[in-house]
Amino acid sequence: MTKYIAKRLIQLIPLLIGITLITFFVMHLAPGDPTALFTDPNIKPEELVRIRANWGLDKPIITQYFIWLKNAAKLDFGYSYISGKPVIQEISERLPNTLILMSISFALILLISIPVGVISAVKKGSAFDNIFTVVSFIFMSIPTFWLALVFMLIFSLKLGWVPSFGNLVLPVTVMVISGLAGITRYQRASMIEVLGQEYIKVARAKGMPEWLVIYKHALRNALIPIVTMLGLSLPDLFGGAFIIETIFAWPGMGRLGVSAVFSRNYPMIMGITLLTSILIVLGNLLADVGYAIVDPRIRYAKKE
Amino acid sequence: MLRKNKLFIFGLIILILFSLLAVFAQFIAPYDPAGIMENEIQGPSLRHIFGTDDLGRDVLSRIIYGGRVSLSVAVVAVAVALTLGILIGAIAGYFGGLIDELIMRFTDIMLSFPTIFLILAIQSVLTPNIYNVMIVIGATSWMGIARLVRGEFLSLKEREFVEAARAIGCSDLRIIFRHILPNSWPPVIVAGTLGMAGAILTESALSFLGLGVQPPMPSWGNMLMDSQAYLLDAPWMAVIPGLFIVLAVLSLYFVGEGLRQSLNPKER
Amino acid sequence: MKILVKSLLLLFLLIGFSFAADYDPNGRLILSLGGEVSVMNPILSTDTTSSAIEGVIFTGLVKLDKNLNFVPDLAKSWKVSKNGLVWTFKLRKDVKWHDGKPFTADDVKFTFDTIMNPKINSVRRGDYFIDGKPIKFKVKDKYTIQAILPKPFSPFLVSAGMGILPKHLLAGKELDMAYFNNHPIGTGPFKFVEYKTGDHVLVSRNPEYYGGAPLLKEIIFKIVPDENTALIALKTGEIDSTGIPAKDFHPIKGVNLFKYDALLYTYLGFNLKSPKFSDVRVRQALSYAVNRKQLIGLVFRGYASPAYSPCAPVSWAYSGDVSKYEYDPGKAKKLLKEAGVNTLEFTLLINHGNKEREKGATILQQQFKKIGVKMNIRVLEWSSLLKVINARKDPKDYDAVLIGWSTGVDPDAYSIWHSSQYPGGLNFIGYKNPKVDKLLDAGRREQTKVGRKKIYAQMYKEITKDAPYIFLWYPNVLTGVRNRVGGLSEPGPAGLMVDIEKVYIKSSPLSSPLHEMERGTAKQGGEEDKL
Repeated sequence: MTKYIAKRLIQLIPLLIGITLITFFVMHLAPGDPTALFTDPNIKPEELVRIRANWGLDKPIITQYFIWLKNAAKLDFGYSYISGKPVIQEISERLPNTLILMSISFALILLISIPVGVISAVKKGSAFDNIFTVVSFIFMSIPTFWLALVFMLIFSLKLGWVPSFGNLVLPVTVMVISGLAGITRYQRASMIEVLGQEYIKVARAKGMPEWLVIYKHALRNALIPIVTMLGLSLPDLFGGAFIIETIFAWPGMGRLGVSAVFSRNYPMIMGITLLTSILIVLGNLLADVGYAIVDPRIRYAKKE
Repeated sequence: MLRKNKLFIFGLIILILFSLLAVFAQFIAPYDPAGIMENEIQGPSLRHIFGTDDLGRDVLSRIIYGGRVSLSVAVVAVAVALTLGILIGAIAGYFGGLIDELIMRFTDIMLSFPTIFLILAIQSVLTPNIYNVMIVIGATSWMGIARLVRGEFLSLKEREFVEAARAIGCSDLRIIFRHILPNSWPPVIVAGTLGMAGAILTESALSFLGLGVQPPMPSWGNMLMDSQAYLLDAPWMAVIPGLFIVLAVLSLYFVGEGLRQSLNPKER
Repeated sequence: MKILVKSLLLLFLLIGFSFAADYDPNGRLILSLGGEVSVMNPILSTDTTSSAIEGVIFTGLVKLDKNLNFVPDLAKSWKVSKNGLVWTFKLRKDVKWHDGKPFTADDVKFTFDTIMNPKINSVRRGDYFIDGKPIKFKVKDKYTIQAILPKPFSPFLVSAGMGILPKHLLAGKELDMAYFNNHPIGTGPFKFVEYKTGDHVLVSRNPEYYGGAPLLKEIIFKIVPDENTALIALKTGEIDSTGIPAKDFHPIKGVNLFKYDALLYTYLGFNLKSPKFSDVRVRQALSYAVNRKQLIGLVFRGYASPAYSPCAPVSWAYSGDVSKYEYDPGKAKKLLKEAGVNTLEFTLLINHGNKEREKGATILQQQFKKIGVKMNIRVLEWSSLLKVINARKDPKDYDAVLIGWSTGVDPDAYSIWHSSQYPGGLNFIGYKNPKVDKLLDAGRREQTKVGRKKIYAQMYKEITKDAPYIFLWYPNVLTGVRNRVGGLSEPGPAGLMVDIEKVYIKSSPLSSPLHEMERGTAKQGGEEDKL
């Protein structure tokens, strides 16, 4: 087991390096540099040269990359162009808020998707299942930001039930509805696969009551992929957070990132991109390891 | 089988309808989408079926032209994604070994980024317009297709017809494009259809934030951006473009799902 | 005797009661900020959010009253020498910094010397140079400071209003990185308490303020991301004041509405060095093609005034005797024909994020279409736009730009209209008119208001003849303030809270539902019960 974890950790390293490379070089496609943000026409060109040298912007780009990488390893992502505060400080102030939003949403999604997915699988082909399929397609077709706008219109502006900003109710609701369809279908598919297995047929043949078959054997086995699901849905959860936090003014890392994009706050953009990617990679690793622990077949048979 | 699938038919009809609207926009739209017709916002009426926006422009006409923009962005973006994905996946799956390893590592790296933020970050570096939106969406959504194609190639390259082609001396390139690829169409078509659905959603989110299609060129997404300030006063500005997005994406999902079911008999 | 005591007590009670009914000594005013604060240092900051905070923490030698006249602040009086070169300011002796240390003329000299230090990235530096020569500051004694100008310059008083920094805290420190910028210490009516990123800035009453202890206990500046959210927050009472978009400016329960003119105008500027716009008839034609009524109706629902001159009507220098190009598409077409122009196509630059300009540009596009002119719109990020128009090259890379000027309190617009201010100054359109140059110089030399007004009236007439800009509109400032806030100044270009120390929260529990719950059950009649 530990060998497996170690192997996966080592595979992470080229992955992380690749992420840093892409992040750094994409950001440096930007025309101009930080001094472009000094917009006073009275500033003399010599001043700009001096400031550029102070910031190490006159060095070759490869050197700049390694300097950035070295600092990034210490979690030093430089200073925000807007507030002048350290990037890592602003991110760590906001990250907990995003994590709260994501965890509550994911928990609610699981709460709803597991029963619905299981029942759909058990009653495959029934009216319930068909309606569920159509409804989940509809949910998947709704743009997150539009849902957010419509909910804000109805529940904040027209009915006044919830405040329009700084409050978790609407953001969580929108995030849950957006993410529900995909996970429920996954649940359903995995439950269907389990129900088709040999040992289920054996249990039924042994005369076990249907409900016990479902609960004891099938359900437990269908729950295993949840950990994987968490890993797989992390990118979408983070992605949703960016838009939802912006619309509902939720002070999380997502809103910080979007406003950094609008203000061309490159150190912040790089910091958030890198951190989010690392979290996603770690989440996937956790999901894979968790899956491997639970399912011995995977441990031994797994190939890339 | 396909004919019996009611959802598939529904989706197909909507798609054909939208495509016709997009292609023949000039003839179907009642007014000039940029024309300022009224001096204030008006709600739906006989003159303006979907009302006007805050600049007095007819919403229905803008929806039709906006549909042309949103759909063409989706088509081109998916074309880019397919090109990249097929090329990358084919090379990885056919040659295997180290090349495969390297390519798959690169694919994993791209998959580790939160896509929407990566696109936002890239757009912050460029000056957003309809063309770079198409390319950027395509350049960040090829990964699923690449994996799919790679899988197909891995399984198909051991088959007899490939052996036969090698035996008569076909070059690798020829084998890839003339022999294996034509046999891996089905999942690729499905992926393309689903990809278009995703591209419409992504483009509308980008345009909504102001980093996609720039006004005054209408797109369903940037019409929603304009509607935000008028949510209470003119809800039709927000509701209608959103409904069209949902319809378009839903239709693509129905069509894609229908295709998937009919092309993969063992699935369901 | 007992009756006398009782009635005296009752009298005191009534007086106390009437004060209690007037203002809440623990009142907390909630204002909104449109974004994050950058640095809370008046000589470094360039954004409006930081200056909102600086406005209550720092004070300067002079300040503006509600009629935009300069009145004493840290300086209790000042005079100008006969030759207009030496300004002598006598400072107040009773001013203390927020950390208790006394304020002296050394602080003033330190502040201005720091601004003029080339190593410091202060964008205000240019304000203290006249024709390239610096203003020198001299400390005459502990409470007297002199500014020695290289030339007579009446607009100098504006720069004299700069917030003063404490020498004892900042001398010898690296100003850009200083801890001070996030924990400012000033001489103003409020002291800095805390700044929680993404959430709020809190300041509290400075009881030692030389202008009298503020009536408010605290001000909290909440960071509210966009104007729609802010409006909702105003309606629910989550904030006390905010700007209101024109389309939402109708009666709101619990809120007082204010409308007043500002010292701003928006215009379309032509790149005069471009062959497209070198003929004045082309520029005039385009000016005639603009239907300002339609523009203002659609963009502002009427809450703006059409502009025809580079001076806002609220300014004392305003003159209506200018060339007005009122809407006449027929005349526009005729002029184009006269100039020999059959087709004209050009690109208009606008900045991203300003809804009014975006809408305005779209409407102009349609209006120009009517006279056969094709205008393309290109949206740039604010900093990218500035880069294009401020580039030190000739000619510059643009056709036309839609942008605005905040004209400032003094009508001197040297950097905008003087031919020397191209390509390196604010005259990015390349305007050159020797008559106007002369008038600008004269306006700076002339020390009397009456004299200056005459000079500027002549100047506006000259400028509008040349139609270098299409002047579009002067926006109204539309603000809403909740009923519970009192002590506001008369609505005017200086804003509603000119004397922030006089603003207060009314203590009647009927003023705001949210805050009644917050304060619990503070009853006015408490002492009455005890008796």
